[in-house]
Amino acid sequence: MDVITVTDLAKTYRTPFRRKRVDALRGVSFTVARGEVFGFLGPNGAGKTTTIRCLMGLCAITAGKAEILGAPVPSRAARQRMGFLPEQPYFYDYLTVSELLDLGGRLAGMSGAARRARADQLIVRVGLDHARGLPLKKFSKGMLQRAGLALALINDPELVVLDEPMSGLDPIGRKEVRDLILEERDAGKTVFFSSHILSDVESLCDRVAICIGGKIKDIGRPRELVDATTVETEVRLALADDVDAAAVEALAARGAKSRRTAGELLLTLAGGVDVDAVLAAAHAAGGKVIAVTPRHETLEDLFLRRVADQGATREVLR
Amino acid sequence: MTASLARLWAIALNTFREAARIKVLYAIVIVVAAVNLLAIALGEMSISQQTRVARDFGIAGVSLFGSLTAIFVGIVLLYGEIQKRTIYSIISKPLARWEFVVGKYLGMVLVLTALVAAFAVAMAAVLAYQGVAISGAVGKALVLAWFEVLTVAAIAVFFSSFSSPFLSGTFALALWAIGRVTPDLRAAIASSETAWIRWVAKGALAIVPDLHVFSISGGEVDGAHVSVHSSFVDWGYVAAAAGHGALWIAALLVLACAIFRKRDFV
Repeated sequence: MDVITVTDLAKTYRTPFRRKRVDALRGVSFTVARGEVFGFLGPNGAGKTTTIRCLMGLCAITAGKAEILGAPVPSRAARQRMGFLPEQPYFYDYLTVSELLDLGGRLAGMSGAARRARADQLIVRVGLDHARGLPLKKFSKGMLQRAGLALALINDPELVVLDEPMSGLDPIGRKEVRDLILEERDAGKTVFFSSHILSDVESLCDRVAICIGGKIKDIGRPRELVDATTVETEVRLALADDVDAAAVEALAARGAKSRRTAGELLLTLAGGVDVDAVLAAAHAAGGKVIAVTPRHETLEDLFLRRVADQGATREVLR
Repeated sequence: MTASLARLWAIALNTFREAARIKVLYAIVIVVAAVNLLAIALGEMSISQQTRVARDFGIAGVSLFGSLTAIFVGIVLLYGEIQKRTIYSIISKPLARWEFVVGKYLGMVLVLTALVAAFAVAMAAVLAYQGVAISGAVGKALVLAWFEVLTVAAIAVFFSSFSSPFLSGTFALALWAIGRVTPDLRAAIASSETAWIRWVAKGALAIVPDLHVFSISGGEVDGAHVSVHSSFVDWGYVAAAAGHGALWIAALLVLACAIFRKRDFV
């Protein structure tokens, strides 16, 4: 069963006064299956946050439709079984994390005992036990993000929607968020998140969608989306002191890029180049192979390629 | 229904806690206390009018400062949620938007009630200093002023549901000022020979809450002069005025909820 179904979703804004059309979403369609970790990628202004805001009922949908856990968006039923962490979350800074979670639990319709027990459990889980009594205004950005994650999880939702959850976090904070996402997945929950940090997306997500200019450009498993063939091969050679300079020049010319350092030559060969022939030539010139590293296309390559294809249409304003 | 009430209470309680942190509100309480002290000083300067001055200053203070505070909190507490983006985490919970607006308003009611009570205590202290207890007439005037304050808060919430704080404040102040001079508007309709003045006055009367019904001391009700110092209105009038205020509050909140329901939070 699909947890999120989005069909031809369109969102058009009108600028104030001049009433200029801004097509933020132009027919976005995708589904997210139960238990998946789904990554939503795109450059700034691509429509990621608008899509999420439409799903959360923060923005009205102009055309198309969306369903969450079988309930139409927007509806209370859709929001009842999900949790949401907005981008750069802001909370009532006079509340403590316990009070914030209590408010979230009350709004989710939880009983007093249930929300106290769940809040205690989550505070420990997100590592804020030491800051229980502090008002949120004294929290660092990472701590606020963790408080926001706890708030999103207060009602033990089946679906967790996170808008740029790693944004602005240090490597430790990013790892903590990654671990939390994986814990939710292991508990059978569905996680939908947007991110700019492609290495995290690649390592975490079962499937991804790339949104550019208000449209989905690619959707699928990361490995299926990227080109499996070798993009380039890096060859590292050790060179003897008496190596023939002309032979080194010839070797360097075979690489798309080459860099010579003390006693070493680093060649970057384009995808179609015969690596064996280059290695044979290196041997013949008296070079010794230290490392040969083929590199395949990554999600980042695909992402950058898609953005480059889009060119000037990165801006959604027209 | 119970779940909805629990959500309304959660928002109202949080709004009250938020307002309790606004230092300006404490400054207003101090100003009102100072106005009451001024009433003692001015009363001393008048001959046998100390109590009259204290009552007039006290009730006017509740009405004026209470209404200005209502406009301030009505704007700050609703618009602030959008401006600070705290609303994203709240609206995405299983909470209807009308519950958010009504919950915010109920929180404001708690805040404004506490403020009016503080103003009344300041006034009672001044009267007690002069050896006079709060009369039934003053009690009725305070209840009327309280309803005026709650109605003005609903006006501010209505404007805040779709416009910026500056515009909301301007519109709410304008409506409050016009709403206080409804007898003059009626007089203009009756006496003006200029057609457009009559139309403007009629239009204003149709769309502006009649706030004069809450502030009738020194005026006329059904042709009779009423004053907190002598013959004042009965509780039946107070109930009718409260009903008038409640209807306006309900209408303004319904409109605010309808507008807020359509708003995009971007």
